Amino acid sequence: MADTRKLSLKMKKRMRVVGVLLILLGFVTMGVRLFYLQVIDGDELQQKAVNQQLRDISIAPGRGSIYDRNGNILAASATVWTVTISPKDIKESQKEEAAQKLSELLELDYETVLAKMQKNNYYEVLKRKIEYDESEKVKAFCQENGYSFVSLIEDSKRYYPYGNFASAVIGFTGVDNQGLSGLEAYYDDLLTGTSGLVVSAKNGWGQDMPFQYEKLYSATDGYSLVTTLDETLQHYLEKQLEAALTEHNAKAVSGIVMNPKTGEILAMASKSDFDPNDPYTILDERLKASLEGLEGEEYTTALSNAQQYQWRNKIISDLYEPGSVFKVVTAAAALEEKVVTTDEQFYCSPAGVTIADHTFHCWKAGGHGSLNFFESMTASCNPVYVEMGQRLGAERFYSYVQAFGLTEKTGIDLYGETNSIVYRAQQMGPVELGSCAFGQSNKITPLQMLTANCAAINGGKLMKPHLVSKILDSDGNVYKTIEPTEVRTVISAETSQILCDMLEADVAAPGSNCYIAGYRIGGKSGTSEKLDSDDPDARVASFFAFAPADDPQIAVLIFVDEPNSYSQYGAVLAAPAVRRFLEEALPYIGVQPVYTEEELAKTTISVPNLVGSTLSQAKATINSKGLKVTYVGEGDTVVKTVPSGGNKIPQGGTLVVYLDDSETKTVTMPKLTGLTPSQASATAGALGINIHMTGDSTTKTATAVSQSIAEGTTVSVGTVVDVAFQANVARE
Amino acid sequence: MGRGKLKRSFRNGEKKQPMDITFFVLVMCLLTIGLIMLFSASYAYAFYMTGNSFYYIGRQLAFAALGVAAMLVISRIDYHILRKFVYPIYAISVLLLVVVLFMPAINGAKRWIVLPGVGQFQPSEVAKFAIIVIFSHYIALNYQKMRTLKKGLLPFVLLLIPVVGLMVLEPHLSGTILILLLAGCLLIIGGANLAWFGVAAAAAGGALAFLVMFTDVIEYAMGRLTTWLDPFSDPQGLGWQTVQSLLSIGSGGFFGLGLGQSRQKYLYVPEPQNDFIFAIVCEELGYIGALLIIGLFAALVWRGIVISSRAKDRFGAMLCVGLVLQVGIQAVLNIMVVTNTIPNTGISLPFFSYGGTSLIMLLAQMGVVLSISRSAVLKQ
Repeated sequence: MADTRKLSLKMKKRMRVVGVLLILLGFVTMGVRLFYLQVIDGDELQQKAVNQQLRDISIAPGRGSIYDRNGNILAASATVWTVTISPKDIKESQKEEAAQKLSELLELDYETVLAKMQKNNYYEVLKRKIEYDESEKVKAFCQENGYSFVSLIEDSKRYYPYGNFASAVIGFTGVDNQGLSGLEAYYDDLLTGTSGLVVSAKNGWGQDMPFQYEKLYSATDGYSLVTTLDETLQHYLEKQLEAALTEHNAKAVSGIVMNPKTGEILAMASKSDFDPNDPYTILDERLKASLEGLEGEEYTTALSNAQQYQWRNKIISDLYEPGSVFKVVTAAAALEEKVVTTDEQFYCSPAGVTIADHTFHCWKAGGHGSLNFFESMTASCNPVYVEMGQRLGAERFYSYVQAFGLTEKTGIDLYGETNSIVYRAQQMGPVELGSCAFGQSNKITPLQMLTANCAAINGGKLMKPHLVSKILDSDGNVYKTIEPTEVRTVISAETSQILCDMLEADVAAPGSNCYIAGYRIGGKSGTSEKLDSDDPDARVASFFAFAPADDPQIAVLIFVDEPNSYSQYGAVLAAPAVRRFLEEALPYIGVQPVYTEEELAKTTISVPNLVGSTLSQAKATINSKGLKVTYVGEGDTVVKTVPSGGNKIPQGGTLVVYLDDSETKTVTMPKLTGLTPSQASATAGALGINIHMTGDSTTKTATAVSQSIAEGTTVSVGTVVDVAFQANVARE
Repeated sequence: MGRGKLKRSFRNGEKKQPMDITFFVLVMCLLTIGLIMLFSASYAYAFYMTGNSFYYIGRQLAFAALGVAAMLVISRIDYHILRKFVYPIYAISVLLLVVVLFMPAINGAKRWIVLPGVGQFQPSEVAKFAIIVIFSHYIALNYQKMRTLKKGLLPFVLLLIPVVGLMVLEPHLSGTILILLLAGCLLIIGGANLAWFGVAAAAAGGALAFLVMFTDVIEYAMGRLTTWLDPFSDPQGLGWQTVQSLLSIGSGGFFGLGLGQSRQKYLYVPEPQNDFIFAIVCEELGYIGALLIIGLFAALVWRGIVISSRAKDRFGAMLCVGLVLQVGIQAVLNIMVVTNTIPNTGISLPFFSYGGTSLIMLLAQMGVVLSISRSAVLKQ
C-alpha cells in the first residue's frame, strides 16, 4: 500500500500551473482591486465613512438685542430649551410607557408623541422653547426614569419687554429665531450671528464616543442694534395714536417722529398693531370682530389677512394722497424757482379757477378772496397752489417731486417699502398738474411725505431716514456707526427759512389746534380723499408739525386713516394728537419754552407757601409773583390760602388768603364746556374760580371740550379748573 | 492522530530532516499578524457586546497556543498515518455533516455544532480536510489511471456527492464552492482528463440555466445580485455589511490610519473579528499592509507547492498541495467578498478570523505540511 514513488513531471507541472493561476488570478487581482478601492477611490470612500462617523451638532448663536437710543432694551433673547428624542434608541417595549409619561409631563398629545417615538431615526423634536423651570423638571424626570434618549437642546427665545410697542418697526421672529418682519428681518443676518459646531465621533449605533476626538467651533453671537428710536418719545406717540384711534373710531392711526436734520426716526407706530411676543394674535377689536363666525378655509384666509394687516408697517407700505400737507413741497418749488414772491397777492375767486375746461373750487365755499403768499398756506387755498403749479409747469414741478425723493424709495432700513405712484412730467396735463400741486392725485407713503417736508424745513437737505445708528458686536463694542446720509440738497437755506416762517404762522393762526404756549411750532394740516376706498366719504386726516420753528429738532406726521368722527379734517382730528404729543415731547427733548407776554398770562405759577407768615410778608411775596389776592378775615397771620401752597395757579389768577378761622367760601362749579375762551373766562371769574386754559384758547371761536372739575361740584373760591379748548373753525 | 502513535513516525528508521523553516516562519508571521489584527479589530466590538475588550483575543490566544503546540507535535508525526484512517476520517466528517442538520439554525443556516463548554465548530472544516486526505489517497492509488472515467473521475465524484449534498442542505454555499474548487484543483494536479472539466463546466451552466428558467431562484438571487452590483443602493439594509467594508477599505488609503486607529470597527462593520476582519486590516494598515499580507499568503502557497514537489511520495505531495491550496483559495475568496468582487458569502480569513476550533485545525494541518517537509527529498 505504501506508495514511495514521487510525483510525475506532469503532476509537478500542473501543480505549478494551478499555483501560479491561483496567485495570479486570486492574489494579483485582489491587489489590483485593493489598489482601486484604497488608492483611487480611497478619498471618496473615506469621505463617506467620515460622514457617517462624525456627528455635527450645531450650536445656535445668541441673537443680538435691539436697543433704543438710550440703551433701553426693545428686543432681547433668553435661553430656552427644545426637547428632542432619539427614537432609535428607545426600546420597543418602553415606547408606550415613555410616550404616556412624556406626553403628560410636557402637556402634549399622547398619540403624537408615540408616533414620533416609532419613527426610525435619531432625531425628533417633541416640544420647542420650554423655559428654565420646565427644562429642569424634564431633566430630573429623565434621570429618574433613565430616559437617556431624551435630549434638551439649548435654544433661544425672543422677548419684547414692551409688548405691542413699536412693533411694526421692531418686527418679530419665527420659531427658528429668524427675523420675519421689521428690523428683525432687515438686520436678520447681523442679529443672527454665526452658528457654532460640535463635531464628535460616534459609533455605528449612533452613540457618542467621548474618548474619540471632539472638535468645537464656537458660535459667534449676533450683533446688537442701537436704534434711533427713543423709548420715551415712542411711548408719547403711541399714547396719542391709541387715543385718536379710539376717539375717532378710525381704521388706523399712524405716526412718525423724525429728527429733521439727520433723518433719524425717533418714533414710528401704526395703531392698532400687534404684540411681537405673540404676533399671531389679532389685537384690533374691529379685526377680531370681523373674524367672528367664520369657519374653515374662510376663517383661515381671513385670519391670515388680518395678521398680514396688523403686521404691515402702514407708514412705509401703504400709499396715500397726502392732501394739503403736500403744499409745502409746491410752495418750496415755487419759491425756489422764484415764480412767486413772498409779498405777492393772490385772489381766490368764488368761481374757482378753470384750467383746460376743469374748474378747481377752493375747499372753502365762496373762496378766500384776496390773500398773500403767507396766507395761502394758512388758508390752505387750493386755487393759489393750482396757480403755482401752472407757473412752474409740469417739467419743473416734476423735477421737484423727484428732488424731494417722492419718486423713489426713501431707503429706510426696513423691508416692505412701497413704490410711490406719481405722475411723470409727460403724463401730467394742466389739470393733473393742478391737482398734484395741492396734494391730490399723486400717491406716496407717509414716510416719503415726512422726509420731503423735513427737507423743506431743515435748510433744504433731503436726509435718508434711518432707524439704526450703531451696530454693536457681541461684546458691546461699536462695530459700525451709521452716520446721517444726505441724499441731496433740494432747496436753498433761504427758501427753507421762508417755509419755516410760513408754517409757523400757520400754527400760530387761529384754529390750527397745534399751538402750544411758549413754543415756536410750524405745521400744516391735510385732508385727502381716499379715491381707492369703497367708501366715497373715506378720508385721511393728517397733520405735519415741527419745532422749534427757528431751529427744527423734531418733526412729526400723524395721520388718521378713515376716521368716523365729528370731523374729517386734519386740523381737527390729527392736529390735537400732534399737539398733545409735542406738549410732552418738547420738554423731554430739552426745548425750553419762551413765552410771549400774552402767553405768559396763560401760564401757571406755583402758589407760595404763606401759612404762618405775617400779612406784610405775605403781601410782599404775592406782589413779586404778580398774583391778585382777596383777603378774608381780620388777623395778622396767614392761616390758609386757596389754592394752598405748592399748587398751580394761572398767571395773574386770584389767590384767596384767610387771616383767621373764617369758614372757607365755596361756590358751585358751572358748566364751562361748549363756551368760548372769553365766555368761560368770564363765567369762572364771576364766581371767583381760577381758569387755566389749555389747547387752542387763542382762537376766539374755539370751544371748551373738557373741564377738569365736573359741573355742579362744590369748590372753594380760588380753586383752579383746567379747561381744554379746541378750534373747529373751517380750516383745512 | 493521537500522541500514542508518535513512535510510529520513526518506524522506517529513515533519516529525518528538519522541518521546512521557511514555511514555518510564514505560518508564524501570518498567525502573529492575524492575532494582532484580531485584537485590534475586535476590542471595540467585544467591549460593546461583552463589556470585555479582551474577550475575543483572550480566547483566540489560548487556541493559538494550543494550535502551535499541535502543529509542532504533528510536524514530528509521520503523515502516512493519515492514510490508515482515510475512511474513518471521511465517515466521521459525513456523520458530522448529518449531525449539524439537527442543530439549531444560526442566521437561517445550520453550520455549527455547539459543544457546551468546549466551543463550536463547523463540520465543513472537517469535511474539507477529509476530502483532501481521501482525494490524495485515491490520486496516489490511481495515478496511472487518472485519465479513465472509472478510476480517474467516478470515485471522486461519488466521494464528493454526500459531502456537497449535505453542505447544500445546511445551506453553506461558500463552503461548498470552496470544496468544489479544492477538489477540482486536486483532480487537475492528480492528472485527471482536462476535458472532464469542460464537461463539468457545461453541466454547471446547464444546471444554472435550468434553475433560472424553472425555479424562482433568480428572484432570490436578484436581490443579492443587485446588492452586489451596487451595495450603495441599499446601504442601510442588505448592502450594509458590504458598504461598511468598502468604506473601511477606502478609509485606509495607501498608508492606512495606523494600527488600532480604525473607526469603522466601532460597530459599523458588523462582527469585525470574523469574516470582515480584512476590511479593518486594510483601514488600519492601508494598501501597503494589505499587499504585505496578500504577499504572505501567496508565499505560503508557493512554499507549500515547493514542499509538495519535493515530497517523497504522491500521497504526501497531494496532501501538501491540497492543504496549502485550501488556505490560499479561502484567503482569495475572503478578500474577494470583503472587496465586493464576488457576492457576500460567509467565508473566513485563515489565521485572522476569530474561531478557536478552526484555528486549531488550521495549525494542525500546517503541522501536517511541516511533517511532509521533514521527509522531503532535497536532492534527486
